[in-house]
Amino acid sequence: MIRVADENLPWYEGMTVADLLRDMGETHPYPVVRINTQYVSRPNFTRTVIPDEAVVYLIPMIAGG
Amino acid sequence: MARFALESIKSFSYDRPEIQKGYAGQTLHVDIANQTFDTRPVDDQMKKIFIGGKGFDLWLLWQAVSPQTQWNDPENAICIASGPLGGTPVYPGSGKSIVTTLSPTTGSPMDSNVGGYFGPYLKFAGFDALEIQGQTDRNLIVYIDGISQQLELLQLDDGPRDAYALTTVLTDHFGQGQPRSISVVSAGPGAEHTLIGCLNFSWYDTKRKRTRFKQAGRGGIGTVFAQKGLRALVVRWGKVTVDTNHPADPETLKKGGKRYSREIAQLDPQQNEMARIGTTHLVSIMSDHDLLPTHNFQFGTHREAANLSQSVYRPIFDPGFDGCWMGCTVACSHGVRDFVPLTGPYKGRKVFVDGPEYETIAGCGSNLGIFDPHTVIEMNFYCDAYGLDTISVGTGIAFVMECFERGLINSTHTGGMEITFGNRLAALALVHQMARGEKFGAIVGQGIRRMKVHLAENCGADPDLMQDIGMEAKGLEFSEYMTKESLAQQGGYGLALKGPQHDEAWLIFLDMVHNLMPTFDQKAEALHWFPMFRTWFGLCGLCKLPWNDIVPPDNKETAEPAKVIKHVQWYAEYFTAVTGRSAAPDDLIAMSEAVYNFQRIFNLRMGFGRREHDCIPYRAIGPVTIEEYESRQERYDSQLQEQYQVDPDGKTTLEKVALLRRFREDRYEQLKDAVYKRRGWTPDGIPTLATVRRLGIDLAPVIAVLEANGIQDDQSR
Repeated sequence: MIRVADENLPWYEGMTVADLLRDMGETHPYPVVRINTQYVSRPNFTRTVIPDEAVVYLIPMIAGG
Repeated sequence: MARFALESIKSFSYDRPEIQKGYAGQTLHVDIANQTFDTRPVDDQMKKIFIGGKGFDLWLLWQAVSPQTQWNDPENAICIASGPLGGTPVYPGSGKSIVTTLSPTTGSPMDSNVGGYFGPYLKFAGFDALEIQGQTDRNLIVYIDGISQQLELLQLDDGPRDAYALTTVLTDHFGQGQPRSISVVSAGPGAEHTLIGCLNFSWYDTKRKRTRFKQAGRGGIGTVFAQKGLRALVVRWGKVTVDTNHPADPETLKKGGKRYSREIAQLDPQQNEMARIGTTHLVSIMSDHDLLPTHNFQFGTHREAANLSQSVYRPIFDPGFDGCWMGCTVACSHGVRDFVPLTGPYKGRKVFVDGPEYETIAGCGSNLGIFDPHTVIEMNFYCDAYGLDTISVGTGIAFVMECFERGLINSTHTGGMEITFGNRLAALALVHQMARGEKFGAIVGQGIRRMKVHLAENCGADPDLMQDIGMEAKGLEFSEYMTKESLAQQGGYGLALKGPQHDEAWLIFLDMVHNLMPTFDQKAEALHWFPMFRTWFGLCGLCKLPWNDIVPPDNKETAEPAKVIKHVQWYAEYFTAVTGRSAAPDDLIAMSEAVYNFQRIFNLRMGFGRREHDCIPYRAIGPVTIEEYESRQERYDSQLQEQYQVDPDGKTTLEKVALLRRFREDRYEQLKDAVYKRRGWTPDGIPTLATVRRLGIDLAPVIAVLEANGIQDDQSR
């Protein structure tokens, strides 16, 4: 089980960030997500595996300094 | 406690006006040469056109100087203002001061938006803006005591030179047991000996029992301050509540402020965690997107970037509340406790360091090929203590490092130093040299534009190559984002009024990552709306971070998520609640547009402000060298083929570099055309008479400048 946006979602072995967004039907072009305290950028979505029990945050925008 | 002596030179009593709807209704003019204080009224027209903050500063500066004024002339003024919304404690990000002066490095009006308590305390002491003119050799302190309603000029003898120590003793002295009542503005020896000096604005951190800093960094404002013979400005004020501004509609204001604060407190931990890690999250994100400047903006990513990421700084930052203004829930001003520098006058002693933020990490870290977080902290500390701008220091040293590595200069020019990328001790040594105004550091401290001339004349360095790789425009060093793959951000930097600082427009993700503005007209529209809205924060005494660094969950459903229009609406309500002047979102843009165009015409008045002044070095547009091209060969080859219908096969890298350059520079010129048209400017980048009339800035001196520059009624957009 993982937690995303205050919801519990099922977790499976090898689940990547790209898998998660696809499973959620999420179409918004999130540039970044955070897994616990680690920030993951879109270029790394397909190769970043989410661990079980993780809390995932979908970061809506990167606005610069 | 450091030894010092203060001698009162002159003091005056004044009657403090009550703040009405966010305005004190007067400005304070100080002539430090003649030792005079003078208050001047703020009339309704000034409020209507210039709003406050940066708008007031620019209007005062315009009247203070002539087209012939140089940065180091006595009549050049340093202007500091809050804004009508500034000093509101319940509304996040409402404590900014805006500083303007004629810059030593650009010759034009410079503006810098800075935290700390000075601007709000200044206003509550009775002044919407402070204007300082004149020069002295007396090490002066200007003291504004809003509680006892006294203005005083004092001479400082034997006081500490660095900003941290000076601010500490002055806060203790003037605070009379209540240090939170004091805010100090100071520079330092680096500001005195370079052209890239910053100003440190303080507030007192009651939990940590120490003074803290934010910096008005850009364009050498600290240098003007030091050159005038000023050592510090000190303001004293007491209790601040939401009613201190006497807002027109306090209930709506309180309700709106609480709503915004609650949203940030709820969402920031789920988004960028700025209250925990500041802007450090940007380091790895920028590197992942090929946007983190490394090795003097040659490349946008580095395998060691993780060494400078938030995960490294998170445990280093001292936990606790870090708002640079009362009650701000963004609270992003983090610091490092008990840091022990390895070099310089504080070597081996525990110090508190305010920072680092993203810009300093990228400027004094990755852009120098330095991936040691402790060196970045030490650079940060000494730049603040010496009154140096970390961005110009970083970008300037990066330029020197590349010149050294390419053989444009050698160790005979640098006093024996091997100034190569990654050389931490050389970078720190240059900072210390800048503070002392000696050796090669004294040359670096002149800024890149002057360095290019010096290195060409004295070292035989290739001026054309230096023009391409010296990352300055208008005389100001670039802040720390790669722009090669974002035409819109090239405009965001190149068309910025004061020079390449990202506070006007940060469009990289919209343009490059999301590809939301593929046409010139779309880019031009973004380069109109975003600079205008971002300007508005500086008019009102606000910080822009709450606007779009924490966004509502439903924002993504809106037509233009990047504008975060819900928050824009909230800001319009905020403005109305404080000033009583009814405003809708479009009105905020109109307010900014007037001041923005006024500043462009101010540039023109000073001999700048035309198309030719909006050029940027080619390093900001595309790959200068063979190594840069070949490091992203697939990208550039495919662009040649798909965008420009050029077959790269059979061409040398040098030929491809030249072809790409021709295409990209042409695109940048087309972008200028589109933006000038959208802004209501001539093809030479000058606002038309129709534009200034539409914006209500058709004041006689403004029209005179336009007419003197050949702008006539029939000149079309």
